[in-house]
Amino acid sequence: MTNLKKLVTTIILAVPTMVYAQGFQVNLQGQVQQGMGTAGTALIQDGAALFFNPGGAAFVKKNSIDLGMTATIANGQFLDSNSGTVNKTASPVSTPFTAYAIFGKDSCTKKGMTNLREKLSHMKGKIFKDKFQDIGMKFGLGVYTPFGSIVDWEKGWTGRYALTHLQLQAIFIQPTISIKLGSKFGIGGGFVYSTGSVNLQKDIPVVDANGNVGHAELSGKASGFGYNLGVYYKPYKYLSLGLAYRSQVNMKVNSGDATFTVPSSLSTNFPNGKFTSSLPLPSVLTLGVGFTPSEKLSFALDVNYVGWKAYDTLSFDYENNTASLVDTKSARLYKNTFAVRFGGQYKITPAFAVRLGIGYANTPIQNGYVTPETPDANRYIYTAGLGYTIKNKFTINASVLYETLKRTDTNLETNLSGTYQTNVIAPGLSLSYKF
Amino acid sequence: MKNILNKIIIVTIALNALVSCKPDLKAPASDKGSIDVTNYVAIGNSITSGFADGALYYEGQQVSYANLLAEQFKTIGGGDFNTPWTPIGTQGIGSSLNSKLVLGYKTDCQGVNGLSPVPAAPGYGDISIFSNNISAQGPFNNMGVPGAKVITVVFPGYGDATRPAGSFNPFFTRMITPAEMSTASMLSKAASQNHTFFSVFIGNNDVLGNALDGGMSTSPITPSGGAIGTGFDASYDLIINTMIANGAKGVIANIPDITNIPHFTTVPYNGLTLSATQAAGLNAAYAATGASFKEGSGNAFMIVDASAPGGVRQIKSNEYILLGTPQDSLKCAGWGSSKPLADQYVLNEREVLNLKEAAAAYNAKIKTVAEEKGLAFVDVNAFMANAKKGIVFNGITSSAAFVSGGAFSLDGIHLTPRGNAMLANEFIKAINLTYGSTINLVDITKYNGVAFPNP
Repeated sequence: MTNLKKLVTTIILAVPTMVYAQGFQVNLQGQVQQGMGTAGTALIQDGAALFFNPGGAAFVKKNSIDLGMTATIANGQFLDSNSGTVNKTASPVSTPFTAYAIFGKDSCTKKGMTNLREKLSHMKGKIFKDKFQDIGMKFGLGVYTPFGSIVDWEKGWTGRYALTHLQLQAIFIQPTISIKLGSKFGIGGGFVYSTGSVNLQKDIPVVDANGNVGHAELSGKASGFGYNLGVYYKPYKYLSLGLAYRSQVNMKVNSGDATFTVPSSLSTNFPNGKFTSSLPLPSVLTLGVGFTPSEKLSFALDVNYVGWKAYDTLSFDYENNTASLVDTKSARLYKNTFAVRFGGQYKITPAFAVRLGIGYANTPIQNGYVTPETPDANRYIYTAGLGYTIKNKFTINASVLYETLKRTDTNLETNLSGTYQTNVIAPGLSLSYKF
Repeated sequence: MKNILNKIIIVTIALNALVSCKPDLKAPASDKGSIDVTNYVAIGNSITSGFADGALYYEGQQVSYANLLAEQFKTIGGGDFNTPWTPIGTQGIGSSLNSKLVLGYKTDCQGVNGLSPVPAAPGYGDISIFSNNISAQGPFNNMGVPGAKVITVVFPGYGDATRPAGSFNPFFTRMITPAEMSTASMLSKAASQNHTFFSVFIGNNDVLGNALDGGMSTSPITPSGGAIGTGFDASYDLIINTMIANGAKGVIANIPDITNIPHFTTVPYNGLTLSATQAAGLNAAYAATGASFKEGSGNAFMIVDASAPGGVRQIKSNEYILLGTPQDSLKCAGWGSSKPLADQYVLNEREVLNLKEAAAAYNAKIKTVAEEKGLAFVDVNAFMANAKKGIVFNGITSSAAFVSGGAFSLDGIHLTPRGNAMLANEFIKAINLTYGSTINLVDITKYNGVAFPNP
């Protein structure tokens, strides 16, 4: 167990930052689901249910611990339509991770639960034709990184006065209760505490006699609260439905550090000091369908509705304002978006599964608002995965996700005009232990 | 178990190496359209030469709009653009033998130490620029000569150093051989190079000379009418007809309204701050002129105006005080209050009108010539008017504000490297529009504004 603890610590230290995936949302949760087009709200297979659908978590058999990590390798380029120059991002590798632990009773006969069963038994025959002998309750803890971004543009690039570096990370810690009401129905909810950080850098167009241009670095810790609710319903052996809602979380930076490097004759114009800002992490409403025509074959379909409209303005409020350093409000005007994710799994043997998936997500960013922070576009994603279970206890899952996005735009605020292209390949590995 | 893990990791890494997932964006190749830029010659004044910060110096020459244009031309077959370079690292030389200006610190008459343009070298600038004849390095594609007017471009003997000081141009003398001093004009030197493409951006000094002298009659505005060498129109026609005679195509530019240039807009007309006692004293002293003063800031300066009753009056909001007006005299010596500002420091309403009318007539002529000859036309006047409001490019806002605007150099007239890059892009847009070429614009973010001292 000490080894495991060490592993967890290492993962958390290695953390964050992840990339592009519809705005700065990171859809890299659970290797099983990643193999299947990142869908899994209605097809409950492992601890990732804590993220996808807390209502289904009670249907995860036995106690389980899942640890996963995905290496996200993103290569971005920008073709400036004015000068024809091409700039690159510095291929940042980020490692979003997931850790899910679920424990409790698959079905419960304890006294307390018997009472509950009795209380609920008047519903017998009304809502479910189920005998409520199968009530269970599970507790879970999910620690995962649903949002984040890292972009590191090459030195001296043409958009450097808009952005040179952005690192956003949010780690969600989600204690969860999931209740199984009979063999067909589950509800669950989790409280989300989010902790994270932001580091945004750009150059300032002031220069000294040696040609050194100014630079601004805004960094700070952020935190926020939210919740994750879900309902799971499995009317037939081969069909399951899921509805989940992850709330919006406002990440607030209350005491960030603004650091400016400028010619010293301008240092009073750009005083170092504190700043406040906030970033909304949008709500996600998901309707999922799971289809299991045979023991060997299963499919998962998720449709997401993402509340990106919450990201209206990016503001920075500086403690020390000067004529050169004024508070900024940049319009973002994101739109709510839909995404569709679909995947399949085939068990070649009971222990060995192969997976394939595809997804499509439209972009929340309107024309005129694409920035080098998040050069987002409508995108297709392609995924594949493998799973191998040893002695019904250990499962190793591997996954790989590929997506490419390309967008041409002229930003209304900076006039930065050109084509962004980002290719992302994200291989991941997870380890599950059931006991 | 560990073995399997290792294998999976190795396979994953190998898979990554295989799938090289880097995007491959490329700009389409530039097309030259209907022009041949093999040998480009630029006729112009100080702006074309790369003059900046009150002097001609190497780093300024490197980024003149004409040199930047020639650099972009290389993508469509442009050749070398020979420039009458000054020495690398020189402090430069200006029209009063001064060095270039740099932003430094200066303690004013009130004991306040602040940022101010100061000469890079005390006393004289680099006199060797005038004394070293570099004609052997010619002919020069960059025929920008600081101080040149439309009427001097066509003047044979413009570089004749045997003439009395002030009646020849030493910036041109250095570019020609002693033998041709009495015969060479800027136009003759420009047109004798078998040019395939040309630019003409000239006419600014035909009004600016007068404006810089506060509208004094000693530096007259060039009239539109009159013979070659005297009048604007006839001289301009000769320049363009000479340059297109061999079939070359080109681009010509009009001139900016001087009231959009920081040299004339930086010192506010109402920059006078007074105590109650001072205000009362001035009100009493100037009661007859109708001037009024109040305690605090925002008082209009007093100026000399021969046509006003009593010869003095308060300046109006549409009149301009020159950047060169001694600031310490304004602050501490009663200039503009107890001592009305002399005419040479002020462009009054009448003088501004004369300058605007002359510039409007030149610009009408230039536009007509462009249309008649089918040449690309750059509306520098509109560009400078936009710059006054502020132009945003790739996250940089540049404006005509002195020092902080980033577009104008420390003399308040000539451009910074960034201002030159912006101007070069106006030329490229005009060329692409007229000749169907697809020359890329200059990446403005590679060029800086005014350099700030450190410390």
